[in-house]
This record gives sequence, structure tokens and C-alpha cells, in this order.
Amino acid sequence: MSFVECRALERTYTRGDNTITPLRALDLEIEQGTFLALMGPSGSGKTTLLNLLAGIDRPSSGELRIDGQEITTLSRAALARWRSVAVGYVFQLYHLVPVLTAYENVELPLLLHDLSRKERHRRTALTLELVGLADRHDHYPRQLSGGQEQRVAIARALVTDPQLILADEPTGDLDAEAAKGIMTLLAALHRDLGKTLVMVTHDPKTATFADLTLHLEKGRLVSPATVGADAPAEGGA
Amino acid sequence: MKLLPFEYAVRNLGRNPLRTALSVGGASLVAFLVLGAAAFVTGMRQSLAVSASPDNVILLGTGSEESIERSQLAFRSAAVVAASLRGIRRRLGVPYVSPEVHVALSVTRTASEQSGRLTVIRGVTSAAFLVHPALEIVQGRVPVQGQNEVLVGERLADKLGLPPEDVAVGRTLHFDGQPWTVVGRFSAPGTVMNAEIWTALTDLQVVTQRDTLSCVILTLDPAQGELADVQAFAAQRLDLELTALAEAEYYAGLDAFYRPVRILIMLTAGLIALGGVLGGLNIAHAAFASRARELGTLQVLGYLRGAILVSLIQESLIGHAAGALVACGLGYALLDGLSVRFSMGAFGLVVDGAVVATALGAGLLLGVVGTLPPAFRLLSAEIPESLRA
Ligand SMILES: Nc1ncnc2c1ncn2[C@@H]1O[C@H](COP(=O)(O)OP(=O)(O)OP(=O)(O)O)[C@@H](O)[C@H]1O
Ligand SMILES: [Mg+2]
Repeated sequence: MSFVECRALERTYTRGDNTITPLRALDLEIEQGTFLALMGPSGSGKTTLLNLLAGIDRPSSGELRIDGQEITTLSRAALARWRSVAVGYVFQLYHLVPVLTAYENVELPLLLHDLSRKERHRRTALTLELVGLADRHDHYPRQLSGGQEQRVAIARALVTDPQLILADEPTGDLDAEAAKGIMTLLAALHRDLGKTLVMVTHDPKTATFADLTLHLEKGRLVSPATVGADAPAEGGA
Repeated sequence: MKLLPFEYAVRNLGRNPLRTALSVGGASLVAFLVLGAAAFVTGMRQSLAVSASPDNVILLGTGSEESIERSQLAFRSAAVVAASLRGIRRRLGVPYVSPEVHVALSVTRTASEQSGRLTVIRGVTSAAFLVHPALEIVQGRVPVQGQNEVLVGERLADKLGLPPEDVAVGRTLHFDGQPWTVVGRFSAPGTVMNAEIWTALTDLQVVTQRDTLSCVILTLDPAQGELADVQAFAAQRLDLELTALAEAEYYAGLDAFYRPVRILIMLTAGLIALGGVLGGLNIAHAAFASRARELGTLQVLGYLRGAILVSLIQESLIGHAAGALVACGLGYALLDGLSVRFSMGAFGLVVDGAVVATALGAGLLLGVVGTLPPAFRLLSAEIPESLRA
């Protein structure tokens, strides 16, 4: 059984008489510990797929099992609880809470868990150190560079120790150097912590950090459907 | 449900200073208005409620039970009642039976002054001081009969809209074409009497050229008599054409008479508050809409919409509570005890616990009601939609 299993996953939107299907009968398996890059033209359904994997959107049909848990049948509240434990999400535009410091932003997901203040502090500080921001605890997002903001966002995604990290164009808004820093960090998380990473990117250079790249086109995968860290195949279709 | 840190709500206040200022200002304005309205209503009701003594019975002319000023009673009624009704309280043999004439006359400072204010003038005998124990003479003395002398209530100046020195002891007031010398001042806190002018019964009868009474007020000895006895007496003595009412009942009638006024006042305050809500809705909507992505992100992290709603309400309540508290403090300082002229007399606004609670409640409600629709609208969006906003 793979870590992520998608079966005939489909997402359609209906607007009046129009039906849009950003994701069409998608079958996909991802082994634990894989770093997967998703590429594809704009509108090909990359974000749609990521959102389904993150449990923030629901498929119109199909099955989606993550770490053995069928998440399509979970209630809204159960899904929220599942998210707080099982996934970390990194956005292109960081989406940090501007009124909270770097430390508080990272601590935020931990407040959903029953942890002592001390334990929260330990984990928050540790994670900030991991992303190289041990000296930026009290900085607000506006006092940080884009690259630093994204590091805080990665720390926030990582602090609850989820097995699955999802990133939607995490370097899309950064200059080359900052982007490289972020990619080095993500690759290290995958290598050292064994996290399963699914990253959307437009940039082939960024994709080279991944074990494997899949291509989406018009809601369909155009590359091998079974992907694993030890899979022989590499690259797109 | 795990909530967002309170800090988050507090700091969000600083995010949109204009909205915060408007909600603090709006809440304080609405709370102040509600406080004023509630203080008016409470003051009016209390003045009517304390005006009645529990053992007092008012005898009025049959057919004019709602208004003492319109009632007419044979002059001899008082003597007949005192002589033949049992159960009346007595002290040293003096019965607690007070024949009174109440007339509303225009009162001015000089004879030539044209526009005076209508004020209740009460013609009394010494028995009035027995049946109205709330009344206390704080300065001067009781008017002497035949001298055109008057006692004035503490709030008379307010009722007349005059500075207090104009009705001080030694000054002259004019009504019914005659000068009257102020010889004393009384206090009857919270009652309608407090804004009246009292004079000798016969003097008032002379100038108003009436030989009837407006009412007879008597105090029962609760051990010996009750209202039913007086009513039975009134029913028997058809010749006197009397109706007996508990004093409390009379004032309850007045209270009911003024209910529409009170409703109108509260309604006005309510409508203005509604305007506040509508204004707040727009501001809150704009403020929240700019945060759509952030609220989506919080949900991605695992926060429930309920938790986010609580935080948005907290945020709004902090601002509104601050505004409402300021308004209540100001209202208490400025309005409590402030005199209001009214047709039935002058009374003081009352800012008590219940009034403050009402005003605070209105301010807070404004915060909640003004937050819910935009918050619902924002939180009803699916997460991916919020993130794309
Ligand atoms: N809520 C929605 N209602 C209607 N159509 C939608 C909705 N969300 C997404 N779509 C459509 O689904 C398709 C796929 O969108 P998606 O965001 O997954 O693309 P993407 O591959 O991430 O593109 P990009 O590279 O530009 O981010 C698009 O055509 C988009 O218009
Ligand atoms: Mg996208």
C-alpha cells in the first residue's frame, strides 16, 4: 500500500450550464519519503490536485487514501483535525499572519495540539532553528525578506511533524538566490527527515531538486502513475 | 474546539485603525444614546413609582380617575371622610386626611413676563405633610394662610428652566395674576412633588375661584382599614360622588399613560443603533474581505471556522466594549441626576446598574450583530476559494 493513493480522482466545477473538470480520472500512487515535483501549464490542475491531497478541497468522485486514511469521507471537522496532524502546506505567497511574529506564526499550528507551553516552545524554537531563523523569533513578517518569510512558512508547515508536505510554487515569488536557499532547505527536509514532499513548480531547475517530476495536462497525468523514491523512472512523460 | 490566541484578536485591532476607531466611536455613540434613553425611562418610572406611599388612598371625583387636575370633589368631602370613615391613621387624634387642590398654571418671575411654564400648584393644609412623608422641608417654613406664600420643590427651577436663585426663599413668583413669595423649600426625592409649588389650600381656592377640591388623600392604618373599606364607603356615599384609588394604582395609571412616550424613545434609540449596525456591517465587511486569504490559511492549518468566528467576534467586541464603557462612564458622569422637564413635572435621569447594563449590552450587541453577516459570508467560502481571493 502506497503512502498516497489516488483512484479515479476527479474534480469538476459546475457553473450554470458549464462544467469545468480541472482534474480528470486521476490515478496516482506516491511512496512514503518521495520528493515529487508537479509541473504543467497554467490551469492544468496542479493546485487543484495539491488542494485535494491537503484535504482542503473535496474530489467530485474517486478515492483518496493518505497513510491508510480515506480522507474523502471525513467530516469537515474531522478533516480539519486530520490536516492539523498529517499535512503541512507551503504557499507561493507564504500567507504568514502579519500580526504575529515569526515565532508565533510557527507556534500557531501547535496550539491545536494538547501540548504544554514548554513543549510548544521547544518544538517552535527547534523548527525555527532548522530553517535557519533561530535569531528571528520576534520579527514580524514585514520585517523579514521574502526568502525568510518562506522559511517561516516552511517551519509552520513542519512544526507539527506531519509526514506529508505540500508546496505550491514555493519559490515562485523569490529571486534566484532565495529560491535556491528554499529548495536546498526542502531537499534537506526530505533527505534528513524523510518527509514525503509534493511540490508544484513552473521552473525545471527547481524540479531537479525532486526525485521525480510528473506532468499534468488538462487535468490528466502524462507520466508514470506509480512513483516512488526507489522507482527507476525519472522525469516527465 | 481549539480557539485562536486572544492576542491575535487584540492585535488585529491595530491592523485597521480606521475600522477600530469607527467601531469604538459607533459603539460609544449608540451606547450613550441607549444609556440616555434608558436613564430617561428609568427616571420617569422611578419618579412615578416612589410618588406613591403604600398605605395612601386617593379620593377623586367620579369620572376623572386618570387625572387629579381634572377631578372635582365637594369641599366637605374631606371632613365627611375624616369623621365617618374608619381605619384612617391618626396621630394625637389628627386624621391623616389631606384635602388638596391641584392646578397647572403658568408660572413666571415677574408680572409682566408673558411666557411661563405650566407647573403644578398644589393647595394644601397641614395634613398634607402627614400623608406625604417623603416630603421634607429643607429650608424656610410652611406658607401662612392668606399671605400668598409658597413652598417650592427642589426641582422646580429645573422644571421652570430657571437658575435656582430665581426660586430661592425670599423671591417672588407670579401665577394667576398674583405675586407669591417663596417662604420655604422642600425636598421629596424622586417624586413628582419635587417639581411642584405648594401653597395654602384656601389661598389657591381664592385665586382660582373654586370651592371644590381636586382630591382627598388619606393614609390608612393597615391594622384597621384597607382599600376595600374606603371603596365601600365611596360606593355608599353616592352624594359625595367619590372614587377611591390606591395611590400606587393612580401612579401606575400615569405610568401606563406615558408608556407610548417611553416606547417611542427606546424605539428611536433602537433605530439609531440599527443605523450603527448597518454602518458597522460595511466597515467589517471591507476589513474582513481583505483578510480572506489569511482566514483560509488558518483553516488549512486546522482551525475550525467556529474558532475563527469567535476570534472575529472577540476582535469586534474589544473595540465595542471599549467604546461602550467610555460612553457609560461619560453617561454616568453627565446624565445621572440630570433634570428633565416633562408635562407631569421634572424628574432626574437615573443611571443605575440596569441602565448601564442595557447600554453596555447595546454596544456589545452592536459588535456581534455587525460582525456576524460579513464573517459568515467570508467563512462560508470553501478554503481554496478563500486562498485565491
Ligand atoms: N472554484 C473554481 N471554479 C471554477 N473553476 C475553477 C475553480 N478553481 C479552479 N478552477 C479551474 O480549474 C482549472 C485548474 O486550476 P488550477 O488552479 O488547479 O490550475 P494550476 O495548474 O494550479 O494553474 P497555475 O499554474 O496557474 O497555478 C483552471 O481552469 C481553473 O480555472
Ligand atoms: Mg496553481
